[in-house]
Amino acid sequence: MGKKLLTIMLALIVVLAGCVQTKSEVSGEKDGGDTKGGGNGKVTIELLGTSAGEDDMNIVRDQLIKNGFDVKLNIQPDYGSFKAQRDAGNFDIALSSWTTVTGNPDYAVRSLFKSDGDNSNIDDSEVDALIDRASTETPEQFIETYKQLEQRIVGEKAYIAPLYISFKAQGVNKNVLNPDTVRLAKSRAIAWETIDFNDASKRDTDALITQQAIGSLTSLDPIKGNDGSINTLNTNMYVRLVNLTDDDHVVSDGSLSYNYAIGEGNEDYYFVLRDDINFAAVADGKAVDTGERVGADDVVFSLNRAKDRDAVPDHRTYSLHESMKDVEIVTDLAELEDAKLSGGAGSVLEALEQGLEADITEIVVDKTAADSSAGKYQVVKVTTNEPFPQVLNYLAHQSAGIVSKKQVESINTYDVAAFDVNKDIPYGDQRTVTEGASYDNHLYASGPYILVKKNDYQADFVKNPAYRVGSEFEPKISNVIVRFIEDADSSLSALRNGEIHLFNGVPETKYELVENDDKLVLQKNDSNAVTYLLFNAADRAVAKSENLRKAVLYSLNQDEFLNYYQGNKKKAYSTVSPLVDTGNELIADPTKVEESLADYQAE
Amino acid sequence: MEEKLHNRHALVLSKEYPQANFTWIISLIISVIFLVNSFSFTTGEMNSLVFAMFIAYLATTFLQLFITRRMKRDLLDTGAIQKKTRRLGYVQLLSLVSGNVFAAAAAFNLINERKTPEYTFAVYMFLTQLFVIAISAMNMFKPYVTDTFLVSMAVLLVITVFHAAVLIAVAKLVRETDAPRSMAMIAVFVLLTAVTGNLFALLLGWSLLLKSISNDHSRILKWHVMWEKITRNSMAVFGLFFIILMLAISVTSRFTFDYDFAVENDYGNILQTPSLAYPFGTDNFGRDVFSRIVFGARISLLVGFASTAIPVVVGGFLGGIAGYYSIRTDNVIMRLLDVLYAIPGILLAIAIIAAFGANTTNLIIALSVGSIPTYARTMRANVLMVSNYDFVDSARALGTSDLSIIFKQVVPNSLAPMIVKSTLTIGGAVIATSSLSYLGLGVEPHIPEWGNILRVGSTYLESHSYLAVFPGLAIILLVLSFNFLGDGLRDALDPRLD
Repeated sequence: MGKKLLTIMLALIVVLAGCVQTKSEVSGEKDGGDTKGGGNGKVTIELLGTSAGEDDMNIVRDQLIKNGFDVKLNIQPDYGSFKAQRDAGNFDIALSSWTTVTGNPDYAVRSLFKSDGDNSNIDDSEVDALIDRASTETPEQFIETYKQLEQRIVGEKAYIAPLYISFKAQGVNKNVLNPDTVRLAKSRAIAWETIDFNDASKRDTDALITQQAIGSLTSLDPIKGNDGSINTLNTNMYVRLVNLTDDDHVVSDGSLSYNYAIGEGNEDYYFVLRDDINFAAVADGKAVDTGERVGADDVVFSLNRAKDRDAVPDHRTYSLHESMKDVEIVTDLAELEDAKLSGGAGSVLEALEQGLEADITEIVVDKTAADSSAGKYQVVKVTTNEPFPQVLNYLAHQSAGIVSKKQVESINTYDVAAFDVNKDIPYGDQRTVTEGASYDNHLYASGPYILVKKNDYQADFVKNPAYRVGSEFEPKISNVIVRFIEDADSSLSALRNGEIHLFNGVPETKYELVENDDKLVLQKNDSNAVTYLLFNAADRAVAKSENLRKAVLYSLNQDEFLNYYQGNKKKAYSTVSPLVDTGNELIADPTKVEESLADYQAE
Repeated sequence: MEEKLHNRHALVLSKEYPQANFTWIISLIISVIFLVNSFSFTTGEMNSLVFAMFIAYLATTFLQLFITRRMKRDLLDTGAIQKKTRRLGYVQLLSLVSGNVFAAAAAFNLINERKTPEYTFAVYMFLTQLFVIAISAMNMFKPYVTDTFLVSMAVLLVITVFHAAVLIAVAKLVRETDAPRSMAMIAVFVLLTAVTGNLFALLLGWSLLLKSISNDHSRILKWHVMWEKITRNSMAVFGLFFIILMLAISVTSRFTFDYDFAVENDYGNILQTPSLAYPFGTDNFGRDVFSRIVFGARISLLVGFASTAIPVVVGGFLGGIAGYYSIRTDNVIMRLLDVLYAIPGILLAIAIIAAFGANTTNLIIALSVGSIPTYARTMRANVLMVSNYDFVDSARALGTSDLSIIFKQVVPNSLAPMIVKSTLTIGGAVIATSSLSYLGLGVEPHIPEWGNILRVGSTYLESHSYLAVFPGLAIILLVLSFNFLGDGLRDALDPRLD
């Protein structure tokens, strides 16, 4: 019996052994040469990123290894330490991302690739020339220029290696909020004033609770910050001359201007200002109307300090506004009558008067004298150094928010050159709104909401009582609470259990959860966020060898990223890709990788 | 009346009866788990494979229940388990097919009336080998296997047949205090098979050598009594079994598993539910979770053992010196260690990792440093006690050097609590390793490590819970095993419990 069993067992084993295929048989069928065979000559690439980008890093690592590289990962826990490592040059490639919040292609390339850009490590005169040329061109013309620029940056020189374009996704609690009132714009930050509850009677009693990841606010002075910690907050606290629509067109809706017009030659830009917004301040934990109107002098003051890098210490946004030469209040109605409209018939005055309640009969310099019903208006003129229509996009950016001349001058009494961060308290310092001994809220908000106080967990906003009262842009909900929740998965849980009503930034792999939840609705839109790999340009081998950079570039397979994100990403070729359809596409090519690597090793 | 009382004692003292009870209860629990998982409440579909497992475990449960009742009746009636009942064990061996190690162990225990530690070793050695083969054989459902798979499987099969033969020989020939001299030859071969990581073979080989060659009866008796105590505690043996199984899998996976399945991304197979090709499913990068867990065992065991061995040696040395020498030496060493002790272990580990970077070596160092003081304290307390014994005094009177006294007389006699403590803390080290990886501070995220796997799983708890359940179970089982083994060792080594 035992013998029989043994024979049967042996027979079974032999049969089974015949069924399985070994690895070398399988790979032998696929391709002759195993690229991983020659282990000694491998090039090691150090990949730097944050732990939030761990998944992308893993995909890049896997693709590089499959193309014969060795990869060393350098994962930093947060953006601060990531930046420190990047500045120290401890990387070959760094996982980076860029969001063009102004919605214009110039911003997508200027600061990143121009030799004097504030985020640039590239020094290439051809790139500079292309960027400058494109900036003066019309949308029809610049497609070709940006196409050439992309080919130069990616295809020819491989300064960056693009990965993908993200979508924007926002989860809304439809049991509480009316989803139709919640906007999801491609570029701009969300506007709170339009959001409304399903039950309008709760507007004054309940708060809109939303979320953001970063709780340490860079600065509530709009020109001193341009990052995720304040973009949404400052957008809702300061009104601008113009706004972007959800698909990135420049309009006057919800802004300080009734209308704007571009003068002939594309160098002069005119804005006719509203007279129904006052600054709000905080007194005893409540928002009060200061009685001070938001006027042309404030606009001139705000834009002048925005373009002047020495206006405040630690100015973060001057490069966005460099194109402006002059900002002035128009004093003479005749100037508007004489100025011709760009690319069309008629005068600037006619363009500015379109849709106004009363025609412009008088131009006033004193803001208190403006009265739109009587035809008395204030008009501001912005002049650019060169013809540059995209300046309007920059004026729609939160850093061009209008602050009170009187209030900011009364707070910023320090000497900019001798500024001492420990002693001097500048306008918008987060210490002044943080609960505790240093609390001394001196904010003057021109926008629909004002920040009352914040702590480590949340920031409390109330509506500006003197913001376009009675109009459709008057803030619907009186109180807004912004919770600081760092982790996207925790935020999603908070949304699902009703703790927050609105979550901007649902992770791609979790769309299904939101869609399957009865009380939630998922809003999706394109975005301008591009993720790419930045090559070290200082002292590593990748900085010196174009061939090595190309070998990395052609190892990347964007289809695999799309697969991983379940199709919730789009292919990218450069940071311009979401804004201009240039037709360029990066196609993974193992033979090009081999050639480039061979060339590199022969160098 | 007296006989009835005597039989009641037999019931209480019986080794088999409590284990039989335990077996049917745990089999029932597992079968209920299978039943619940065989039915999908959302789609209303039945998983026939899981349901078949449920039937198999349920059958085992009923058979075991039947055996248990007969054992009870036998014991109460006659004071001993009858031959007929013992023969039922052979039937229960069939439970091996369903992988029910509890029932199989109980069956082996029932079949053989004469229990020697060698028999237990041989049983578990054989079981370990069977499980290693079963786990490795899962690879046959994969698209391909490694080049060394067939050869190593053949070797493993041959070893298993050999182990089965040894098991029969041991059951027939080995007695409590001696074994036939011929067993020495077999013992050497058994020792050789321990290179597969099956440490039961090491224990069995050593034990057989001792009994067949040595004439030192006290030594044999000491060894026998110690293992007798440990093997009587079936939970400790199951713990040891799982640890050794993990170790054996870690060793053999090098030849039977393909590392590429565990680390290479496969975008065509993202988030697959468990199937024969992917027994634990695939993760968000299309990697096989089963292979990842198998390879992860390596790191968990390596870090667990190394980060316990280092503080045992360093702390033991410092504690030994501190306990033996004067107050001043003692004070200097122990106060310095107190300073170290004041820093929370996991914080210290995080600080070290943050400063020197995340890799396996740093992980081991980071986890080791924090637990040096506790080992030093344990050692010192024992040395203080042992160094007052007469044999130390006599060694001193004979003019033996201090170092020689410490490391030849005092330390060996103070080791028992250290062994127990280290067994119990290996579990802690395994958890600490996984915790650090879970926080993103351990080894690189693509490297299969249980904490890493769990981290990926934790973000898919709702949609793909198996991604978190299986690595979680692996961690729980390994830590639990170390704790049970530690408990068993403490019971066996503590002189107060004699």
